[in-house]
Amino acid sequence: MLEHADDPAQKTLEVYRRNGGYQALEKALREMSPADVTEEVVKSGVRGRGGAGFPCGRKWKFVPKTDKPKYLCVNADESEPGTCKDRQIMERDPHQLLEGALLACYAIGAETAYIYVRGEYPHSIAILEKAIEEAREAGLLGKDILGTGFDCDLWVHPGAGAYICGEETSLLTSLEGNRGYPRLRPPFPAVEGLWRCPTIVNNVETISCVTHIIKRGGDWFASLGCEGSTGTRLFCISGHVKRPGVYEFECGKFTMRELLEDFCGGTPSGLPIKGVFPGGSSVQVMTNEELDVRFDIESVQKAGSGLGSAGMMVFDGATSAVDVALNIAEFYSHESCGQCTPCREGSDWIRMLVKRFLDGGAGTSDIDLIHTVANYMDGTTICALADAMAWPMKSLVEKFRPEFEAYVAEKATA
Amino acid sequence: MAAFSPELVARVDELATRYPERKAALVPAMHLIQAERGGWFSDETIRDTAELFDVPDMHVRGMVGFYDMFHSQPVGRHVVRLCKTLACKLRGSDELRAHIREQFGVGNGETTEDGRFTFKCFECLGHCSTAPMMLVDDEKYEDLTVAKLDDVLRGLE
Repeated sequence: MLEHADDPAQKTLEVYRRNGGYQALEKALREMSPADVTEEVVKSGVRGRGGAGFPCGRKWKFVPKTDKPKYLCVNADESEPGTCKDRQIMERDPHQLLEGALLACYAIGAETAYIYVRGEYPHSIAILEKAIEEAREAGLLGKDILGTGFDCDLWVHPGAGAYICGEETSLLTSLEGNRGYPRLRPPFPAVEGLWRCPTIVNNVETISCVTHIIKRGGDWFASLGCEGSTGTRLFCISGHVKRPGVYEFECGKFTMRELLEDFCGGTPSGLPIKGVFPGGSSVQVMTNEELDVRFDIESVQKAGSGLGSAGMMVFDGATSAVDVALNIAEFYSHESCGQCTPCREGSDWIRMLVKRFLDGGAGTSDIDLIHTVANYMDGTTICALADAMAWPMKSLVEKFRPEFEAYVAEKATA
Repeated sequence: MAAFSPELVARVDELATRYPERKAALVPAMHLIQAERGGWFSDETIRDTAELFDVPDMHVRGMVGFYDMFHSQPVGRHVVRLCKTLACKLRGSDELRAHIREQFGVGNGETTEDGRFTFKCFECLGHCSTAPMMLVDDEKYEDLTVAKLDDVLRGLE
């Protein structure tokens, strides 16, 4: 996916085509049926790159046979803390995303696709709009694409600053012109999404994979990576490492320790790594002792955390785990949409509790209280934002309990 | 009602053709409206927007409250958004925030006395591997240091 990312001209249609771009679209429209395209994607085993990891091909198969219009929504509301990969695709190689979106539309029978880009990405929006204009002028978008009779239009839709809109049902509610409140499922968007019509929501990276899957075949894609995590993935490494960045790797070929200590050079301070969020902040923190785990969806899950969006944040031994907890708690309490009571109240309650450790006034029982409140949030709301807060918070108090206790002791004697 | 410019109305009408329902163009349109109306939504602008979309005033008010990029108060000539979430915090965004408070006298949500900029601490802006970062209007600044931040902010008109 990042093969040509360092060539600034890759953004242009001319260079993208010279590098083999839009061959997959030609091939699909001329030689394959929509069902063939879906089958290749199923065969590839590609799983959603947004965080949940749902198999993409299976999602597409949920679209019912109906006369209603169908829609594709590309989720480019990249807002998960630690995640900055979709931006690389949009800003460096936007046409592979457009090509993937057209392929997905062809497969599911959609004639309209929206790319919902977070409002804080003005660069991505500008580059995508330019790419769309170029593609439209070249007859790759609009009516009768490449003379094959396939009609499809594609628009960029800007968000306006709300983490929750990356949740797929919230994204749809937002796109329709409302506050981004998540919706109860079922019905799932594939059955009832935008304007109550079948809608597929896929992450930018997932859709970009589709371009390569159709170009080189599902079997080729499945031969990369490992079982359960096929293909390559974009890993975003941030925080306390010497060489942070966005890197493309095959999944499951190395451990987290190899990645962080060898490839990324360890911490700039030279102190040991203290903790890592392997998949954005919405997963359980892992301690240094837990880093010898293979970096693929299932291995990380077995180790008690999640690969999520592959946005890895690393903190070193000098960092206070309670400070980290407050930063994360502030994030979720700010971003809760306020619709469900456990999340609206719980997120702010936890934020205040954690703050109390830093400000003074917390007792040892407050450590357990954070855990209790997090348990009330976990699994009790419409969407997963409450879980996404509960998991890191519970793991932080479990794995770094002595630090919370030290604050209690220190502030009591101060 | 103070009318929107004909260019804006034409642009909004064009945006609306992209969706089966006009209301879907509301967020994209609100970005344009906010820019035309001095960077924020006054009561009057809220009413005008509601009229343009044939939705209740309260709907537009709710949108302004919900989305962090829309402002319900006047803003300075520039809007500075500093990322405060974990990846940026680990790379020093707290120091940057303290510097802005000391040197420019503004905290989160406040506007400098000379009206040069409004400062907002934002949650994750998606530039984690080049942290810390800030957006000044639509311009981004990555791998920030106190000196670099200071230069950028002092250079603002």
